[in-house]
Amino acid sequence: MLPQVLASGLSAGSIYALMALALVITYKTTEVPNFAQGDMAMVSAFIAYMFLTDFETGFIFAFGAALVFAFLLGVGFEVLLLRRMRKPTHLNLIIMTLGFTLALFGFAGWKWGADQRQFPFPVSANEVIRFGSVSISTLSVATILIAGILMLLVFAFFRFTKLGVAMQATQQDPIAARINGVPARAVVGLTFGISSVIGTVAALLTAPLITLDPTLMWDALLKGFAAAVLGGLNTPVGAVLGGYLLGVIENLFGAYISVEFKSVVAFLIIVIVLWFRPSGLFGRHHERKV
Amino acid sequence: MKSIRKNELYRPRMMTFLVFASICMYGCSEPIDEGGVRGVTDDTIVIGSWGPLTGPAALWGAVGRGIEAYFEMINEQGGIHGRQIEFVLRDDAYQPSRTVAAVREMVERDRVFAFVAGVGTAPGRAVVDYIMENEVVWVSPATGATHWAYPPRKYLFAQYTPYFDEAAVLVDYVVNELGKTRIGVIYQNDDFGESGLVGAQVALEKHGLNVAEAVSVEVPDTDLSSHAVRLRESGAEAVLMWLTPRHATIIVGAVGRLGYEPQWLASSVLADTELMYDLTEGAWEGVIFAAIGELANSAHPLIEQYREASARIAPEERASEFFLSGFRYAEPLVEGLRRAGRDLTTESLVAALESLDGFQGIGAPLTYTTNRRQGTRATFLARTIDGEHAERLTDWLESGVDIEQVIQRLEGSN
Repeated sequence: MLPQVLASGLSAGSIYALMALALVITYKTTEVPNFAQGDMAMVSAFIAYMFLTDFETGFIFAFGAALVFAFLLGVGFEVLLLRRMRKPTHLNLIIMTLGFTLALFGFAGWKWGADQRQFPFPVSANEVIRFGSVSISTLSVATILIAGILMLLVFAFFRFTKLGVAMQATQQDPIAARINGVPARAVVGLTFGISSVIGTVAALLTAPLITLDPTLMWDALLKGFAAAVLGGLNTPVGAVLGGYLLGVIENLFGAYISVEFKSVVAFLIIVIVLWFRPSGLFGRHHERKV
Repeated sequence: MKSIRKNELYRPRMMTFLVFASICMYGCSEPIDEGGVRGVTDDTIVIGSWGPLTGPAALWGAVGRGIEAYFEMINEQGGIHGRQIEFVLRDDAYQPSRTVAAVREMVERDRVFAFVAGVGTAPGRAVVDYIMENEVVWVSPATGATHWAYPPRKYLFAQYTPYFDEAAVLVDYVVNELGKTRIGVIYQNDDFGESGLVGAQVALEKHGLNVAEAVSVEVPDTDLSSHAVRLRESGAEAVLMWLTPRHATIIVGAVGRLGYEPQWLASSVLADTELMYDLTEGAWEGVIFAAIGELANSAHPLIEQYREASARIAPEERASEFFLSGFRYAEPLVEGLRRAGRDLTTESLVAALESLDGFQGIGAPLTYTTNRRQGTRATFLARTIDGEHAERLTDWLESGVDIEQVIQRLEGSN
């Protein structure tokens, strides 16, 4: 039973980790959690669905289109809405993300309706591979692999490419970055684009499992946020580890202790962690930007 | 300049004018009731309803649109005693606070004569006292909770078979007909889910059995792997699910991945077989579910008539179980209006509804008397087959469970 529970935890944790990573990379640039993250990903998943069912394109084209849309949506959100605010405070920005999420939710309800839909996907949630006593769906295997590879790519991007380093520089100190010739404004927009793409990958992997409707990413956003707080809001690696940890703890708790309090336990752990380590399990002590 | 304008508002004459104007406007928008009956004129009857047309529960918005199509069909046939039905449908997004506002508006501004359906237990409970105080007839709340007819209220006529009755009938069937003794339950952790759990418990106790394992699901949960493991470990041969379509899809998938194959038993909330087959990619095969209305694919003459009418009136709608349930909720109201005759008053409608004795549309036979306000407690069972539709297994059945016992347990658990 234990390996089965760990496998389920890892699969759920992959989604949390992706959402946590998406949240953290924009959080580091704006110091504001983007609550529209989930619904931006949801709308992008609907775009893929539209291509698959209305225009009957192949998976590669549909998913590609969704990711491009997600990127533009992310950049557009930053450039057209967040950046336009005059003298933004944290509260203003948070309210803007909340407003945007409501608008997206309303839009999806109006455009596609609230019915649950089966989301077509190349591999199935009901097709099972067995490793000894562990049965795991091909979708879960794909989720774990794709999430893992994507996250490695993102880290490699931040570490080894010029643009990635410029992004990190902007996150640490936008003014110093600009003095050194980094186009900081463009970089911030780009960060939102990349974050939106990562969230959309999570959405595309979630939709075939739990069916597609406008509430698709509610749970994932909440858990991703929790994972990011758990691991540390200012460390992408920490947030990702937080995601996996959360998925595994939840499943262990559900299987051995109480299913009823499975969802609550995540938040309980966070309260405890924050009590002892306010910057999260893996976070370095937070210093305010000037 | 600006400050002077602001001050003008505080002048007594200006204020008087504004107050007068607003009273006037409010007064003008109010329709005048002929003969003093609210919502009834020489050639119209105003009927109201509410439902989640937007928001996370908007799946059930189809109920209200079904009612609308039904009334339009009745109007096409010439209305009722020379009167056309005007239907007012308000969106509450399944939020009780918005239901309260919508219902007040319908009573005070739109002056509705009666209410029909209204989706959801929590929204309904938020307005039931207000509707009763205003002496507005309310037919068929669209929920199987026990709060409507127990105790009976003069203006409230319930139709939806209580959820616990469905659960008890399902359990009796698998124990008696299929010989299963280990029954598990997976239920949504709220009023709706607990009704299913209590119904199963009470029915099992009659057979000297207990629930093998009961696991609850919170509404936002999306990962049900540990629920599946718990059910498998319990060795349950049949599992009763009191869930929404999304959670049902997730748990059927999670259980299937473990190679565990219990007999699934489902509530009438999951009776939309076409939808469930689609969502589960075919894993919905062989599920036994409770139904409280004729199935959407049945050859029942009324269903055929309704399907034909909805294809004509609302071609964009799928004639799903939820959509057709709107027709079912409105049937007894229309029958009552017919029996009340041309001299329509609230009292004559109540008397007409109380005269229904075994009246049947596409639901179970309905009977109301002066102190019986739950029209039926019957359900029938069906099984999904052939990867696309459902076959009827039984005739209308009643569980015979003592309702007072169930209500006590439900109140005890809250």
